[in-house]
Amino acid sequence: MNIIEIKNLSKVYDEKTIPVYALNGVDLAFKQGEFTSIVGPSGSGKTTMLNMLGGLDTPSGGKIMIDGTDITGLKSRQLIDFRMRNIGFVFQSFNLIPVLTAKENVEFIMQLQGVDREQRDKRTLELLQSVGLGEKINTRPNKLSGGQQQRVAVARALASKPKFILADEPTANLDSKSAENLLEIMEKLNREENITFIFSTHDSRVVAKARRVVTLEDGKIVSDVSKN
Amino acid sequence: MIFKIAFKNVWRNKVRSLIVITAITLGLAGGILTVSVITGMVEQKVRSGINNEVAHIQLHNPEFLKNYESRYTIPRADSIARIISGVSSVKAVCLRSRLTGMAASPNSATGVQILGVDPAAEKNVFTLYKAIPDSAGGFFTGSRKNLVVIGRKLADKLKVRLKSKIVLRFQNPDGNLTEAAFSVNGIFQSANTMFDEINVFIKKTDLDRVTEMDNGIQEIALIANDNSNIPLVKAALKSKFPGLLVQDWSEIRPDMGMVTTAIAIEVYVILGIILFALAFGIVNTMLMIVFERTRELGMLMAVGMSKSRVFRMIMLETIFLTIIGGIAGMAVSATLVSVFHSYGIDLSAFSKGLGAFGFDPKIYPFIKPELYINLSIMIILTGILSAVMPARKALQLKPVEAIRIE
Repeated sequence: MNIIEIKNLSKVYDEKTIPVYALNGVDLAFKQGEFTSIVGPSGSGKTTMLNMLGGLDTPSGGKIMIDGTDITGLKSRQLIDFRMRNIGFVFQSFNLIPVLTAKENVEFIMQLQGVDREQRDKRTLELLQSVGLGEKINTRPNKLSGGQQQRVAVARALASKPKFILADEPTANLDSKSAENLLEIMEKLNREENITFIFSTHDSRVVAKARRVVTLEDGKIVSDVSKN
Repeated sequence: MIFKIAFKNVWRNKVRSLIVITAITLGLAGGILTVSVITGMVEQKVRSGINNEVAHIQLHNPEFLKNYESRYTIPRADSIARIISGVSSVKAVCLRSRLTGMAASPNSATGVQILGVDPAAEKNVFTLYKAIPDSAGGFFTGSRKNLVVIGRKLADKLKVRLKSKIVLRFQNPDGNLTEAAFSVNGIFQSANTMFDEINVFIKKTDLDRVTEMDNGIQEIALIANDNSNIPLVKAALKSKFPGLLVQDWSEIRPDMGMVTTAIAIEVYVILGIILFALAFGIVNTMLMIVFERTRELGMLMAVGMSKSRVFRMIMLETIFLTIIGGIAGMAVSATLVSVFHSYGIDLSAFSKGLGAFGFDPKIYPFIKPELYINLSIMIILTGILSAVMPARKALQLKPVEAIRIE
């Protein structure tokens, strides 16, 4: 069953002057447990697509159904709550809260969700262990390497038990060893816990690991290849 | 959690936060110290006025105060004084004859108020005797007759010294003029040079002897055992003696009453202006913080932090910053005020001017404890008001744009 269905999605900038189509009539669907890369040259619409999927940006037309909910019809406040409960984000530049420790950064989303302390502690530890940072729970981001910070970001994205994780160029700011390590962790989470990952990326290593590669050009899907 | 993040965020850029905190501390310390000096001056003026000049409450024949005619005495003053002594919360009472007259020395002459007093009773109510320096005699020391205690200003005006003779000329209650020579027994120097210039004290027994009559009592003065009991005592005396004019110190000396009320308002105006100015610095700093953290705030909103939580976080950060500065400011101020209160600030270089307005040249800064409570509320309000603009700015951020900002 599809957890995400995109129908005729479009995003037009400067609609009234010189219209620029960032996305132009995209139809796409994702199933639970996919490990998908969205690729394409700069300006092809990868990031716009991810922003739409994450409910961070509103489309000019079309629908995005997530687990049966059309998120394009949600109001700003409802979208924030929807994101918190359904979508995990991993950003290119980690974006951890610098004043909080690794544990607190991961725990933060669960606190927003109102999860009780005991459950939070248990899940935070499990998540940080699963990304190989069980020893760094009380370390602040500035004492962690880029790779470690991004692994905390993955743990944070998983904390809210989202339906899927959106990762925008997750390896762009990492050295090759850290990138490799991060990809292995995400692949393992996908394989063992059936967590859905959707990446936008330029990185060939990410593309190589992906089991499905969707290629965008000029806001349109030019290929959609699944590897088995 | 929001609370924790907000508090930790205050210390994120320590130098910048410390600059803001230092600005608040210095601003408040300056303001509070200024206020304490003004309050100290006024308190001293009022205290000195009460202790040396008017006491807490005075009773007069209502006609007397119109023209200070000594024939308007208080009938049966002795028994009234006994009744007053029995009123609860009254600490001490004294009776005074008050006549208008002239004081003359071989060099000069001037109009004065002559107070015929019982020195022992007078000392129970007034502390003017303490304003006589050791080198300037005493308050009716020795058993000689016709002693007079005068103020330093009058002594200088008449060019007389201790033990000099001055002639007092006055009109009795029966209308006759009398004059007699008195020996200067003590020279007092209160904070109020005008008071020192026009009031002379003689013993009531000497007054009655030289006038060969009982001059009666024109004034009854009393002090309560506590300032807070003055209204109660005044009300009790008004109902007991409806034929007499019962006034408290602020009615007798409206200037003192007025300055006390004015200063209570002025204190808050001064501190309000300082906090208002500081608020601009706080707003500026918090706006910088919001701009600097645009991406982080965008991320927080992206991952599900509601706008109201973001708003609250920025509000809390601003309030924490302000409160920390406020506490530091109040602590530094309390220390400074306490040190200056112990040693006093000597403004004798300006004492001529100050004395003319009844201010003591040595000021002991003082802050009423309730000011710190009210100031704390004002500081929190400043924090809240300063936070609104930066917090609103944070709300205007769109996560999709904010997370892209480098």
